[in-house]
Amino acid sequence: MLTYLAIIFSAILVNNIVFAQFLGICPFIGVSKNLDSAFGMSMAVTFVMAVATAVTWLLQHYLLLPLGLEYIQTIAFILVIAVLVQMLEIIIRKSAPGLYAALGVYLPLITTNCAVLGVAIIVAQKNFDFLYSVMYAIATALGFGLAMMLFAGIRTQLELADVPRSMRGVPIALVTAGILAMAFMGFAGM
Amino acid sequence: MNALKVILDGVIKRNPTFVLILGMCPTLGTTSSALTGLSMGLATLFVLICSNAAISAIKNIVPDKVRIPVFIVVIASFVTILQMAMQAWVPALYAALGIFIPLIVVNCILLGRAEAFASKNSVWLSVCDGIGCGVGFTLALTVIGAVRELLGTGAIFGMQLYNADFGALIFVLAPGAFIVLGFLIALFNRFKTTE
Amino acid sequence: MKSTLRNMVLSLGGLTAIAAAALAGVNLLTREPIEAARKAALREALEAVLPPFDNDITPDTIAPGIVAYKASLGDDYAGTAVESFSDNGFSGRISVLFGFDAEGAVTGYRVLTHSETPGLGAKATDWFAAEGTGHDIRGSRKPLRVKADGGDIDAITGATITSRAFLEALRSARKGLKKDEK
Repeated sequence: MLTYLAIIFSAILVNNIVFAQFLGICPFIGVSKNLDSAFGMSMAVTFVMAVATAVTWLLQHYLLLPLGLEYIQTIAFILVIAVLVQMLEIIIRKSAPGLYAALGVYLPLITTNCAVLGVAIIVAQKNFDFLYSVMYAIATALGFGLAMMLFAGIRTQLELADVPRSMRGVPIALVTAGILAMAFMGFAGM
Repeated sequence: MNALKVILDGVIKRNPTFVLILGMCPTLGTTSSALTGLSMGLATLFVLICSNAAISAIKNIVPDKVRIPVFIVVIASFVTILQMAMQAWVPALYAALGIFIPLIVVNCILLGRAEAFASKNSVWLSVCDGIGCGVGFTLALTVIGAVRELLGTGAIFGMQLYNADFGALIFVLAPGAFIVLGFLIALFNRFKTTE
Repeated sequence: MKSTLRNMVLSLGGLTAIAAAALAGVNLLTREPIEAARKAALREALEAVLPPFDNDITPDTIAPGIVAYKASLGDDYAGTAVESFSDNGFSGRISVLFGFDAEGAVTGYRVLTHSETPGLGAKATDWFAAEGTGHDIRGSRKPLRVKADGGDIDAITGATITSRAFLEALRSARKGLKKDEK
């Protein structure tokens, strides 16, 4: 139990996927202009990351490893993730229109969110067991969500600030993210 | 549209990093030194040229609806080939760049160029576009890496310019990546607006 | 091109077949160089940490994450290298390959993987083998600790946690060494 708590804590704060591992930066910068879209994106990522990690884990351990096909890992994982995102989109649209209205627009963007493929590969490299892998994926996604929400909150304030012209938009957002990353470094060594 | 213009556009006018703000993950993750930034840029350049050429060559026989899956398979195949070649001949570099090599697959620059350029233009121009964007990306990563390495450790490409003890370590760490990139984009904007 | 079921299946299927063939080909071509590169890297690390040896060393897993490599010169036992780790580094696991001579004294080490802070914890790669300092672990036969914990090794300036984790890895390696002798 304690080890699971430790993974969750470490994946959310110490090794935060955005601030420490530099994954999922595109949606982090692109979809963080307001709190609502940041929340929608985080939920969609959490959902897809958990399912994708579970499926790619099974693929890795029951198909690629026994057949000695580890070398096609990258291509197999990205195809599985792409198909999975499509399927989830169709399933959610048919069965849960409310959820689809909330997450729908973010789902197609997730195929090229490197955090999803990144976590699937990390889990395969570190040889985690199944339960551990899924926990790790969910915790990492929550860390992504935390980063997104914090950042979206700051960015709405930033809109009102008087920023030099060449710094407006992405540059000031990046510098702000740098300061947030500095704050997150305080969690290291705990 | 001539080849030279296509290349120059990719390097400056449509610089993937400073103008289009694409492929941020490797840009931040692999630029703790000039050398790793340069290597990551070259790896991406290789895949970009190959995938642009291949996609342009098959553009007339691919049905529209399966266009994106086809692009992904092409890009992923070249990335996998690169992975195997790097493991075989430059294992130390492969280890240093780590997870960012397989993640070239989801680099938005590749799919973006495939969709916006290679699927509409000739093989020759697509190769030029790949060279342009790839070189633009490589230059950007090398510059960011050089700035971070210089400010953080007082060296460029491992060549010591001043005592490492005077370096501000924060620039080699995660926050430095965000801050240096932010200021470099601002600098790029500044030159663009004064022109 | 207009999409029909037939040309969609044909083009996707055809492309996948070509990609699979190309990848299998490259895999055949690179399999041996990859294996050779891996062996060369291991051999090079072993030569760096161990006294001279001439046997073909095979790994022997003692416990999860602890691997021993027994070396000999001619017919004599030359020493053992032990790959060990600690999960208590500043930002996660540090794994280190330690070399021990026939009497069990440390002959050298090589940090294999770590994610410590560059410039601080990352100094562990050569800090503990600096000639004539209070933090040279070579020649020691005891389980070592940092001074802050009542031991006699100077921790890396500004990176006590890393130093602690490093010495913890050394202690596990020594335990592994004893187990291997039994």
